[in-house]
Amino acid sequence: MTGRGIYIYGFVRAAHRLPADSVGVGAPACVPRILRQGSVAAVVSGAPADLRARRRDLLAHQNLLLGLSDAGPLLPMRFGTVASDEDAVRRELAVREAGLLETLDRLAGMIEANLKAMPSGDGLARLVREDARIRRLRDDARRRPGYEADIRLGEAVARALSQRAAGQARRVLAELTPHAVATCPGADVPGCVMNVSFLVGREGYSSFVSVVNRFADRCGDLVDLRLTGPLPCYSFVAPEAHMARVDG
Amino acid sequence: MTTTRYADEVVCRPRSGNLYDVLELILDRGMVIDVFVRVSLVGIEILKIDARIVVASVDTYLRFAEACNRLDLEADTRSTTVPEMFGGAAARSLGKRKVKKSAETLGGTLRKAVTGGEDEEEEEETRPRRRTTARTSPRRRSKE
Repeated sequence: MTGRGIYIYGFVRAAHRLPADSVGVGAPACVPRILRQGSVAAVVSGAPADLRARRRDLLAHQNLLLGLSDAGPLLPMRFGTVASDEDAVRRELAVREAGLLETLDRLAGMIEANLKAMPSGDGLARLVREDARIRRLRDDARRRPGYEADIRLGEAVARALSQRAAGQARRVLAELTPHAVATCPGADVPGCVMNVSFLVGREGYSSFVSVVNRFADRCGDLVDLRLTGPLPCYSFVAPEAHMARVDG
Repeated sequence: MTTTRYADEVVCRPRSGNLYDVLELILDRGMVIDVFVRVSLVGIEILKIDARIVVASVDTYLRFAEACNRLDLEADTRSTTVPEMFGGAAARSLGKRKVKKSAETLGGTLRKAVTGGEDEEEEEETRPRRRTTARTSPRRRSKE
């Protein structure tokens, strides 16, 4: 069911083509199309009347953007953006044409990679061996078992594992930054000691991945790393992302 | 190119349907144009909390303590893992994969929270995760 309004997935150059069998948000899925205005275009579809952040809609948004970004630069919109009608979209395209083109040029050939670092549960034995305070708490908990002792021990372990992971996360960030065109800190994610997005050239992505994998091989018992990519450049469409550009 | 598989590595393919690691990018990043409206994302805040591992929880502390107390440092000089933590890592090499799996578990939680359980087409994929979902969700909610 299509409601009123136009769902906007992102902006591309006017020459950009939709990938074959593109699928939009909604159930049944809305059919995406390209709305051209001058030298830029918006990828749009009808807006489902009951649009919410359902899993299938988030995936439809994401997958369409992934397909589009394979074919050229793309400025992804935040999920759930709806314009009143086609004219409103065309008006914005016309007003923003120069700025959009500039950002599209800046992101041409680029992808986003997101790295999250979490404490690793694998290094427990090492932590207990190396950390005198935790060894003491563990001995206490063994001598006088009980809920309080367990909580003290467990809390100290959790904090120490987080600190170790955070230290490693700073190291991996320092190693990766020279391989990226720009970096952008992500939102705080509970459970993660670091959440950073990198703007990386498509050509350089496999060596970027190798750096992450080598680091994970070396330090996997101190930190768990999860790298997601290549992604549309969600974190680098704003002007401030441009400011975060790393020189050299 | 995007679908390249990096088996046994820390890399997660965006197309694999695992939303957990990209959720905040899809929802909080990307371009915003103020003349366009954004659909109401009712429930998203709850969903974001609910979908993620809460490390600083009594439950986690107790699991750490239990794992610590079971540790035999003399017998095991390599690595002992914290069972159940992040889904239970068994060995270092397996660890990463297990972490991924636990993230998928949370993806399941997320899916449920997002859809209210109405996405039948992925029911089968979700079934094995339900145990974890059932175990962790009420506790987290009760903390709010």
